[in-house]
Amino acid sequence: MILYTPMQLELVLEGLEEQSNANQREINVGNATLVVEDKGFGRAQVVRLISTDPQDYLNPDFAPGTEVQL
Amino acid sequence: MYDSNQQNPQRRPPNYTPTVGPMPAPNPNTPPQPGVIPGQMPNPIPPTPGADPSKTRRVTGKPKGTLEAIRELGTTELPEPKSNIHCVTIVGQVEGHLSLPPQNKTTKYEHIIPQLVGLEQSQEVEGILLILNTVGGDVEAGLAIAEMVASMSKPTVSIVLGGGHSIGGPIAVSTDYSFIAETASMTIHPIRLNGLVVGVPQTYEYLDKMQDRVIHFVTQHSNISEEKFRELMFRTGELARDIGTVLIGRDAVEVGLIDEVGGLGQAVNKLKQLIEENKNRSGVPLQ
Repeated sequence: MILYTPMQLELVLEGLEEQSNANQREINVGNATLVVEDKGFGRAQVVRLISTDPQDYLNPDFAPGTEVQL
Repeated sequence: MYDSNQQNPQRRPPNYTPTVGPMPAPNPNTPPQPGVIPGQMPNPIPPTPGADPSKTRRVTGKPKGTLEAIRELGTTELPEPKSNIHCVTIVGQVEGHLSLPPQNKTTKYEHIIPQLVGLEQSQEVEGILLILNTVGGDVEAGLAIAEMVASMSKPTVSIVLGGGHSIGGPIAVSTDYSFIAETASMTIHPIRLNGLVVGVPQTYEYLDKMQDRVIHFVTQHSNISEEKFRELMFRTGELARDIGTVLIGRDAVEVGLIDEVGGLGQAVNKLKQLIEENKNRSGVPLQ
């Protein structure tokens, strides 16, 4: 993987090692699968959408970063 | 003419009956008139014989409450006004095969790419506006987005606001027509040594190949020549820490990288124009 950016790499990649996906889990919504990160108190944030229907990707509720109630 | 009846109600004819007020009790001796229910007012405007009955009625417009009924009873889904233009924004770092730490604002290519598939397939979407304010990112992810946009059949217009650096360049030129804001900048610089290829640092040759992919894409999709782009990429003296060039607004148009200096209004107008041309070319009747 090559990053092509004028930003300093130290700045971009700082904290890369501390990242973990331990809080992430998959939930099914209809035919789509959402990878969400558990934020506690029944809330979760969408990390990634896994679906074969391209129209699902146009659904704003499934966009990465959206908060969902579990 | 002077109407004595209106001016002086006392001089009304004796057979005058007021039309407003309590109805007189129906006389039980009189036979009921056909078509008139006792106790109800007969039609105050009797249709004139020989005249068109539709002309004697007042046209009051749509029957009140049909829309509300549909909305409240849910009998049918009302079509909501939707835009025929969809807007894809590329901001921050273009995130590729490595998820970047949370201090980065990222555009996830794995979400953008199926979105473009959805937009290409959708019946309602007629054009795509690509808005860029990016500091570059993953070469493969950026080129993937650029290739997807370039191969779309629907009209596409890009607009660079703020910055379209590094891998933002190929994405900006991938559309049918590109705009850059007067103050926006684009940095063109060589791909630096970072990352690993199966455990060993990349050789110069490998980096050169990666660079060629970017250069080929840009020169194929814009008016800049390969020599000019390479010259801008390896120019020394302009960037303090690095070699390369910063193009601001009009500079990018002058070297042929971007088509026009402009803002949102021009970009949307251009997209509308391209949509019209696309419709006329495909021969779809305007509906």
